[in-house]
Amino acid sequence: MRPTDRQYLKSHEWCKIENGIATIGISDHAVSHLSDLVFLDLPAKGASVTIGESFGEIESVKAVSSLYSPVTGEVVDTNKELPDNLEWLGQDAFAKSWMIKVKVSSKSPDLIDSKAYDAHCQAEG
Amino acid sequence: MILRLLVDPPAPAAWNMAVDEAMLTLGNAPTLRLYSWAPYAVSLGYFQRAADFADLPAGTTIVRRLTGGGAIHHGDELTFSLALDATLLPPSVAESYVLLHDAVVGTLAELGIPSERVAAGHGQSPRPTDRWCFASAGRDDLITPRGKLLGSAQRRIQQPRPRVLHHGSLVLQRPSLTPFVAAIADARHTDALLPELRTRLATNLARALELELVPGELTTAERALAAHLQVARYENPAFVQLR
Repeated sequence: MRPTDRQYLKSHEWCKIENGIATIGISDHAVSHLSDLVFLDLPAKGASVTIGESFGEIESVKAVSSLYSPVTGEVVDTNKELPDNLEWLGQDAFAKSWMIKVKVSSKSPDLIDSKAYDAHCQAEG
Repeated sequence: MILRLLVDPPAPAAWNMAVDEAMLTLGNAPTLRLYSWAPYAVSLGYFQRAADFADLPAGTTIVRRLTGGGAIHHGDELTFSLALDATLLPPSVAESYVLLHDAVVGTLAELGIPSERVAAGHGQSPRPTDRWCFASAGRDDLITPRGKLLGSAQRRIQQPRPRVLHHGSLVLQRPSLTPFVAAIADARHTDALLPELRTRLATNLARALELELVPGELTTAERALAAHLQVARYENPAFVQLR
């Protein structure tokens, strides 16, 4: 059961907005399909991110995947411990494995709720 | 659905990487591209540090790939790239390697070259300790009794739709900088073998993907984007030195 207190992109990022700050990560579905994560590159505090554009990259099993931003805004914090503790993503993708926090200017119209995201994952296999 | 086949002449490293990115980004028909490198070059995995290769001989051409994994010295080898929608591959990265590597194992078997895919469970630390791709074989890698024979890596994008770029480097002769690799030359004389190897590899990859192999060319848009990327990204020292 995925958290219902946040929204999701079909590209497998999750986004939880509280008081104008979006906390962003990737879902358990993404993690299970990537497996064996080895590198993660996140933007620095103060960087700008844009809806639908890459905010970072992650490598697993020699495959580099782009991470897409569900919001436009300024990065106000990054999870500095995560790149050296990528096993956290396999343990719980939705809590301590958050990636960035963004002061939101606008959010993607493509964000869907957990029920719709569950259906998307099921269809994708 | 077709699998467009491009058989390209030897080309500079930056052009080779630029063409592959153009194929990935523009999202035309599923494409298999067979190519080689002139001059020979070292490609770094996307996340690798350029400083770790400061000891390479002066004049060595170095390019950064968009795909992951370790560095490869591209000498006498058959390189292939696949650019296609992610829906044409199994959903997980690992399963996609199994599908494609089994097609290569089958190709080599047809040519009398023994190889096997490393079975699941064969250990490899998730974060590689050696800078060279061929230094160690991990789960699902393709090996011979002499060592690793095929280097593989991927790039996956989700926008504008889920797409995959898969790189494969099949060693014909051992390169000078990585003499520890396995090579097809261990089992067969390679001069006369290359045309048949190309044909069988393309046929078997198409079969594995359940696509119809059709010879083709780059589109005008792909050529234009590749020409831009060659200069703006792959020949740009800022990209080579990205990390």
